[in-house]
Amino acid sequence: MNKIGFTTSIPVEVLLAAGKVPVDLNNIFITDEKARLMVDMAEDAGYPRNTCGWIKGLYAVALQDDLEAVIAVMQGDCSNTQALMETLQMKNIKTIPFAYPFDRDREMLRRHLDKLIEVFQTDWETVQQVKFELDGIRALCHQIDLMTWRDNLVSGWENHYYLISTSDFNGNPRQFKLEADSFINQARNREPFRDEIRLAYIGVPPIFTDLYSCLESMGARVVYNEVQRQFAMPTAGTDIVEQYYYYTYPYGAFARLEDIQTQLDLRNVDGVIHYTQTFCFRQIEDIIYRQKIALPFLTLEGDRPGRVDARTRMRMEAFVSMLK
Amino acid sequence: MIGIDLGSRSVKIVQMHGSNTSASQIYDTIWFYRQFGGRGTRSLKIDLDELGLDGRDGLVATGYGKIAVQVEGAINLPEIQAHVKGAVFQTRLSDFTLLDIGGQDTKVVKVRAGRAVDFMTNDRCAASSGRYLENMAAILDLTLEELSSYSENPVELNSTCAIFGETEIIGKIVEGCSLSCLAAGVNNTLYRRCAAMLEKLESDIIVLSGGVALNSALAKIIRQETSCQVVRLPQPQLNGAIGCCVYGEEKLVTGG
Repeated sequence: MNKIGFTTSIPVEVLLAAGKVPVDLNNIFITDEKARLMVDMAEDAGYPRNTCGWIKGLYAVALQDDLEAVIAVMQGDCSNTQALMETLQMKNIKTIPFAYPFDRDREMLRRHLDKLIEVFQTDWETVQQVKFELDGIRALCHQIDLMTWRDNLVSGWENHYYLISTSDFNGNPRQFKLEADSFINQARNREPFRDEIRLAYIGVPPIFTDLYSCLESMGARVVYNEVQRQFAMPTAGTDIVEQYYYYTYPYGAFARLEDIQTQLDLRNVDGVIHYTQTFCFRQIEDIIYRQKIALPFLTLEGDRPGRVDARTRMRMEAFVSMLK
Repeated sequence: MIGIDLGSRSVKIVQMHGSNTSASQIYDTIWFYRQFGGRGTRSLKIDLDELGLDGRDGLVATGYGKIAVQVEGAINLPEIQAHVKGAVFQTRLSDFTLLDIGGQDTKVVKVRAGRAVDFMTNDRCAASSGRYLENMAAILDLTLEELSSYSENPVELNSTCAIFGETEIIGKIVEGCSLSCLAAGVNNTLYRRCAAMLEKLESDIIVLSGGVALNSALAKIIRQETSCQVVRLPQPQLNGAIGCCVYGEEKLVTGG
């Protein structure tokens, strides 16, 4: 019972410093063969049909997994999390709120971190020590990212997998480091991809399980996974407050946009896919990205976990063929 | 060259020799799949002789159906590409916005120099698609052709859902709205549903394709609302299948 679940990336250093096992509930949900049934389970419990599939999945995972507590990110991610936390409390699950201050106020961020450190009965020094250890593992993921867009040795899905896994290091940072090391050695000896089309993927990770392979079968490779890259903390900073200050994802569309535009310029992409979850407020933010990004742009929407549906596939095909 | 458009409501087949259409047929999708499906795994084996088509030198397929099932021996063409090729061929235009409203979905494509440069599709619901029009015509006891003649004084209908739309129109009937206002309201929802997409992907010319292009009220409403020139394709329902033939012919010429 030392596993701590969380609803989106949190300062995982705190959990590791306290000797806990971090569990990103999203990763457990989407990699479970019964992910669709989990959504049904939440709907049976009364979650509305017109609510985000991820939230429903997180609810089911939190009930099924043997967790000591769940950290719910109440600001900087998804407003549905509040009701998720409340319904989990109804099931006697211990929940711990965490918040990224919307105005990116460093002092406020420090205070939220302080509170988290206090809850887990650890201290700043140990947390800082863990951060330095994780910096080394994250550096491997940054290298995988570089090998994706610069060296063309890594597929879009592999890039997605290694970057997204840094939210909880699959519960075991040392084991994950070995896995990443071995992958890098293996990928170095590959023939580079000769893709016709290079794509950027912005937005939350897809609920579709085969999005990357679908695109690759059409001759298009994702060379930039925006939010996943942020999970791997591309700007480490000198201390943990700085690191989560530079982390863009929780601080709104404009904080993300600045990072996105820099990366789009760097990575020489032909088009941008913006993924939004059905019923998510981020569908409104699509207006901003469409207006501000001067590249061919496709907005995709996913509802339930599973393979890419026929309609989405048709739209992806049309987009890729338009770019060729 | 034979082009097949496997749509959600109907399957369209066109045979062309060079640039001339020699045969064309439209089948109900369910009938077509029952007739030709199930003879292989996820594949449709189409007996072209049975359909009265022969002497073919190529087969090109498009449409939703091609993802679930493969037509044996056919080259697959992405749907939007097929519709753009068909529209360019039928109109001889190269710069326009294509509005394709089919059985279950709506596509808006910005075409420049004969190529798609941007596109949007409706969200996941079938409201304001062909299926919606069929339902509404049935409720109003009108044929599709009769329904399409009304555009004046529309009642306001909420177009967000094809099924709730039915309930809504029943409410309006009870309120005593006239048949012409109700029919105009239905046609007006067609426009409202695609208006934002037409504005984002605007051109001076809007080309209408898909079965719903047969609705003359829609063309009239678009003309009034956008001040654009509206071109209705001579064979709107067959446009995707024609595009397939055009693509197949190009492949033959270029040896691709």
